[in-house]
Amino acid sequence: MWLGFGVVGIAALLGIRAFLEGSGFSLPNELQDLLTLSISVVIESLPFVILGILLSIVVQVWLPDGILMKYLPRNPVLRRLCISMFGIFLPVCECGNVPLARGLIVGGFTVPESMTFLLAAPIVNPITIITTHQAFGFDDGILVARLLGGLAIANIIGWLFSLHPRQDALLTSSFAAECRRPADEHGHSRTSKSVDIFIREASVIMPALFIGALVAGAIQVAVPRDVLVALGSNPLWSILAMMVLAFVIAVCSNVDAFFILPFANTFMPGSIATFLVFGPIIDIKMLAILRTTFTTRVLVQLTVVVGLLSALVGLVVNYVA
Amino acid sequence: MWLRVQRWRGVVLIAIAVVATIWLSFGNQLVLYIHPRYIVFTLIMGVLALGLVIASLVVRTHPEDEEEPSPRGKVLSGIGLGVAALIAVAMVIVPPATLTSATASQRDINSTTLGAETQSVTAADAASVATFTTFTVVDWASLLRQTSDLTFYEGKPVDVVGFITADPDDPANMFYVSRFVVTCCAVDAQPTGIPVFLANWQDTYAVDDWIEATGQFGTNPSTASKQSIALHPDAVTKVDQPSEPYLY
Repeated sequence: MWLGFGVVGIAALLGIRAFLEGSGFSLPNELQDLLTLSISVVIESLPFVILGILLSIVVQVWLPDGILMKYLPRNPVLRRLCISMFGIFLPVCECGNVPLARGLIVGGFTVPESMTFLLAAPIVNPITIITTHQAFGFDDGILVARLLGGLAIANIIGWLFSLHPRQDALLTSSFAAECRRPADEHGHSRTSKSVDIFIREASVIMPALFIGALVAGAIQVAVPRDVLVALGSNPLWSILAMMVLAFVIAVCSNVDAFFILPFANTFMPGSIATFLVFGPIIDIKMLAILRTTFTTRVLVQLTVVVGLLSALVGLVVNYVA
Repeated sequence: MWLRVQRWRGVVLIAIAVVATIWLSFGNQLVLYIHPRYIVFTLIMGVLALGLVIASLVVRTHPEDEEEPSPRGKVLSGIGLGVAALIAVAMVIVPPATLTSATASQRDINSTTLGAETQSVTAADAASVATFTTFTVVDWASLLRQTSDLTFYEGKPVDVVGFITADPDDPANMFYVSRFVVTCCAVDAQPTGIPVFLANWQDTYAVDDWIEATGQFGTNPSTASKQSIALHPDAVTKVDQPSEPYLY
């Protein structure tokens, strides 16, 4: 019955669309661009979110229990270091990694371990490495700074949050409750479990993705870009401007190197490195999606620490290059 | 009721987004939002998602008992869901459109060196007249950035298609024939344009009109504009928006 409702509903909407197209309907420019930009973020991110949910299902349901844990070192620092390399095998960018990271926590990883994965994966993923290399080669150490900086930041953040005495308190109450649930032992089929995870993850991530996309679109329509570009040639301001740009633009880590390439002549190399390290971890869309899992307090701390560390990466590159 | 909405909202949002995406791809309008190289990947994941959506309606699942959120939580997630639903519905009912001059002026035309290497001055100097007519706005903008030597532009006919954005310094007599250059999706679109001098152009054309302009570059007569060289058009004709409005 629900399927019928869905089909009729979507058909009705498409009918309205056909009518609007025929009537020459058009929105004011700003509103139309806001819509185009927001929809663009949704369409661009959706395949990665789906991929992330699929991988999360694989980790939780289809991989033998504890297989990931078995081969990891016991020492927490080395363990997080290994986990931060997981991303090399997973070509998923940041928004797709959230469902996967949630799956890892449900599957028995600690919160800091999962966070380490979440922060490092979009930077060390193979597509990101290839596109960054295509865009910059080994010029000014931007690629190296991005990889080493990203890994270092992810591990430092993992270490910092591992010091928190109550790991549960880092998570939103609803997600913490989900993690406390005992593993399903009623013999439900794997297919049934997989579909259930799909429904639950979609329910959490999708509203956040849509809201994040709208906010990202709105900021782009409202903030003139030249304000940022004007700050490009100052060693410190250029770094801050690039962090703001990364935060606002919310572009996916797989392609952000191409996006930032045309700015390379106006901005100092360190600020480009900062953009490439900060952007995949923190941006407006990511914060909306991360809020499904972590408390606001954790996200504020995360943003501040990641901001300071990526600025440091930029300053080092500016100094060395 | 609330728990039911909470459980199914994601599946519904995915269904709408995926159907809209596939529908757009049939009309070749997905390029208004993402770079063509991502279309195949997007469609494959879309079909997989559709499979999961159908599976979620067909396969019997065993939802755990979830707690109802607090009243405040309900209000917040209700607002959030409303906003998400609004975009989802807009995604389907509002006809897709390319970015407009509003975003072009917001992002400052030619503010980046995008496409700086699309054409080199030496290579262009040796090219034939036929080649120049195939040059896009991006090619010419790249040459203009490299040289302002007027002799270089002599005997090189310009024939470009783009939309009009007014020059901020001399909006009465100058406009840009503009195109957005996209590397990933509309979010990263960078406006690129070539300056055109046409006194009182607003009497005949409007901002955002798609036009084909032909002519040659020469000294810019406008004193208010910052551009030293501008296109002196022989003809400016209104045209339909091209099916792929962005350049790559």
